[in-house]
Amino acid sequence: MAVSPKIIKRRIRSVSNTKKITKAMELVSAAKMRKAVARTLASRAYAGTAWELVQRLTMRVDYQHPLLGNKQDESTYSSSDSDDASEESRSSRQARTVNKTAVIVISSNRGLCGSFNARIAGEALKMKDVEYITMGRKSRDIIRRNGATIAADFEKKDITTSIADLSPLTRLVMDGFLDGTYSRVSVVYMDFISSLVQQSRVKQLLPFIAEEDENLGVIGTSPRNLTPTLSSEEREKLTKRGEYEYLIEPAPDVVLNDLLPRLVELQLYQSVLESEASEHSARMLAMRNATDAAGDMMQELTLMYNQARQAGITREIAEIAGGKAALEN
Amino acid sequence: MLHFKIVSPERIVFEDDVDQVTIPTKDGEITVLPNHLPLVAALQAGELLIKTGAARIPMAISGGFVEVQPKSQVIVLADTAEKVEEIDLERAEAARQRAQMLAKDKITEASEYAALAAKMEKELVRLKIARKYRRDHRVPTPVQG
Repeated sequence: MAVSPKIIKRRIRSVSNTKKITKAMELVSAAKMRKAVARTLASRAYAGTAWELVQRLTMRVDYQHPLLGNKQDESTYSSSDSDDASEESRSSRQARTVNKTAVIVISSNRGLCGSFNARIAGEALKMKDVEYITMGRKSRDIIRRNGATIAADFEKKDITTSIADLSPLTRLVMDGFLDGTYSRVSVVYMDFISSLVQQSRVKQLLPFIAEEDENLGVIGTSPRNLTPTLSSEEREKLTKRGEYEYLIEPAPDVVLNDLLPRLVELQLYQSVLESEASEHSARMLAMRNATDAAGDMMQELTLMYNQARQAGITREIAEIAGGKAALEN
Repeated sequence: MLHFKIVSPERIVFEDDVDQVTIPTKDGEITVLPNHLPLVAALQAGELLIKTGAARIPMAISGGFVEVQPKSQVIVLADTAEKVEEIDLERAEAARQRAQMLAKDKITEASEYAALAAKMEKELVRLKIARKYRRDHRVPTPVQG
């Protein structure tokens, strides 16, 4: 019991002040989380439905849209493709293979949210030979420390309210993809599964490819997903080409020109929302843990303080008793 | 029966089995009945009308897409969608006036102009539909969906 009660008392006070701060931060995060989660869940149905529509549509349309990129199976092309066009597309495809992948990394601006940013940056840094487009201060800092190339950095608002907030980013990646600077664009974000569980995900944004992997593409794949999940058999049946053909009005190019850029924007928006909901949940959890830990620490310190105090009293009594005994003798 | 679903970025506006739906597409108004052939169409701002039995549910939408799948599944992806009773007439009027004011200012960018024109159109449609169904009170209370 070498530590004096005075020092322990000071330590208790400092811990209790920290606890007050973490508690306040927890409450703030909880409020922000509720809002972010509500927004995320509300737009999930739309994003999911739009994605499904594009998947079904691109399966059945021969029209080649630049944003669609290569289809995996060349043999499905209709033979009516003129030689010029296929020559051209082949050369552009060849040019594309040498090009880079852009990865959009969505993180938070502030720390104190557990492993949230580390997990996102870790996921992003797993990819090799890519250029990063960062959104959020934390991912930018981590990626720069690792010496990776950052092509662009976008400021992230604390609360993203409208798709228009993201239009500069969408325009950059879409232009980059169309003029051949990037052959692929992916996004790394944190999928909000519940307030306790979040999962970092990589999603290919461009070109659109109907992927086998159901996590890829569908943002917000979770038990709470509002779109009913199809069994693999049903999915195959739905996506099988030639099962039925769509009548497209006014024309395939008009619809796709309108729909695809909007889908890119929407997917990006949804991933930002998911990340935001995850960030606030992660921070709330981290702050709750900190508050709990501070409580435990205070209890321990109080015990220590009482012991030290009691030891002091005992010692004083012993001294008095000893002094009295010495006088009597 | 037709399974109809309309979603906007904010929410699922309506999802239920209905008899028929009239949808404003860019090529004109279409009415979808059961067993319609598969179709994908771009929409324009206008009135979307759902009929189930005697009930009619009018909505104001402002662009989007419609997909008719086989087996009478209809999905509308609307940029915005509001049921008539949700439209606040005064606020719609105020929004239209604001849009008009903005249009008077100088507009430099083409995209800005397009956005504003779209906004104008949307507000006009909202107003038109709200007025139309408020005036005649034939609209039965909509089926909760």
